[in-house]
Amino acid sequence: MVRPALAVVFSLLLAAAVRAQQPQLGFAVQPGGVIAATLPLSILQEASVRKQLHSGLTTTFLFVARQRETRILSGARIEIRYDLWDEVWIVQKIEHDRKSERQRLTSLEALEKWWRTPLRIMATKASRVALQIDLSVLPFSAAEEADARQWITKSGGVGTSSGSAGLVDALIGTTISARPLTSYRWNVELALQ
Amino acid sequence: MRRARSLLTVVLTIAGATLLFWLVLHQISSVWLDVALRPEVRKALEQSLEDQKALRSHDPARRAEYRKRFDETQKLLNRIQVLRMNRQAMLRRFELALIVVFALSALAAAVLLWMRYRRAQERERREYLERVTSLQETARRHAHEIKGPLTAARLELERYADLVRVDASEEERARAQESVSEELERLARYTREFSSFAGIGKPMLRRESLGQMLEEFCTTFANAWPETRLEDSGGDAVVCVDRDMFRQVLVNLCSNSARAGASSVRFLIIRNGSRVMLEVEDNGSGIAESLRARVFDPYVTTRRIGEGMGLGLSISRKVMLDHGGDLVLGATSPSGTMFRVMFGAEAC
Repeated sequence: MVRPALAVVFSLLLAAAVRAQQPQLGFAVQPGGVIAATLPLSILQEASVRKQLHSGLTTTFLFVARQRETRILSGARIEIRYDLWDEVWIVQKIEHDRKSERQRLTSLEALEKWWRTPLRIMATKASRVALQIDLSVLPFSAAEEADARQWITKSGGVGTSSGSAGLVDALIGTTISARPLTSYRWNVELALQ
Repeated sequence: MRRARSLLTVVLTIAGATLLFWLVLHQISSVWLDVALRPEVRKALEQSLEDQKALRSHDPARRAEYRKRFDETQKLLNRIQVLRMNRQAMLRRFELALIVVFALSALAAAVLLWMRYRRAQERERREYLERVTSLQETARRHAHEIKGPLTAARLELERYADLVRVDASEEERARAQESVSEELERLARYTREFSSFAGIGKPMLRRESLGQMLEEFCTTFANAWPETRLEDSGGDAVVCVDRDMFRQVLVNLCSNSARAGASSVRFLIIRNGSRVMLEVEDNGSGIAESLRARVFDPYVTTRRIGEGMGLGLSISRKVMLDHGGDLVLGATSPSGTMFRVMFGAEAC
């Protein structure tokens, strides 16, 4: 009888510890009911993310915000690519209203500073919203995925792609997709007025 | 049980083929993937990037060229990195595809086997019914052939007894006696026909002139079938035959032609290298389509019960097979029939 109770307590403690480790988003409400999130630096500094940032591929941060009551969806995207030739960070933010902003940053410090600028993820007329926000950190962009897929199906594989080898290549090529390096979920309630 | 065994054989064969295919292709794909994704390949490409960057400082005039090479190399490196991150998923998909191929092949094989089994079952049922029907027909013919003379003989015997009782004349009694003998002779003839079928002997082969045999046959049997003319087309060839048996074959063929209303039967000798054939062609009404496949089977006949047992062609083919040759139906249509008598190639 004691053991199950201990297990429950242990699980609760573990959940609390995990929650404590989860990076915390900052929120700001902008005019027009726009909710902007301030991203914690710890996401960018996470080991797998940091390693991927230097790979030359476009690391993509995909935000999906869902209103829990209305199930209205909104989202935003951040793309970061380190340009190995010019040794600059090419960054782009695509916010909830598809407004995008592209910049070239010359240092990691500049990147970290830019990272902390608010990202507009949703606009709402409600005075109070309960949000579930999911962040997936993808190792490459959709364009890079498509390029690799095309490469393997058209010119990759076993020699020239023809007949059954082409079919196999095509079959395998379609498995190429960006699986998240890491992902986060936040549940927040915000009062807008 | 046999079906299960053949299904198992097919499934095992497909499994073996799929496994072999998997081994070969998996090895090739793995090698290719491993080569492409080897760390040294990546390092070499990364080094190449560094080199292009270093070169731009040493040779600023060719900066654009180095940039182009750099971009191409980086693109390649990016692709390899994307593949590296998807390696497991790609291999899993490859294996899944093979499993699907195997499952579909096994399913197709099972369906084919099942269809074959159903067809064989249906055929077996049909053949059984045909056999039983044929046996029924045969039994009916036998019964009729025996019952006719027996009934007639019994009636004649009763009549003979009456004649004895009334003390009829010697002449009348002799006639009744003769009548009984005739019926018994019919029975004897009937059994002789079976004896000839059951006891087709081994042919005594001798070198004979086919042309001469045909000429003699046409002369001897010129009036055997009054409505049918026998025509010898000439030509000659030496064949190994049992003269009497071969004559019996010709008699059977001509009897059938005459029965089919042919006004002429033509004999044509054909030589094909060392092989000799004789075409026997008539202008009769031909053989019904339903009978063509079974025309050489015993008891297959268009004649009514009591008019014959349908053993002629069966006996004839057996005779020619015993000669090392054959008898085949060459062609038949409502305007005539042609049988091909083939002689054995061996010398005698």
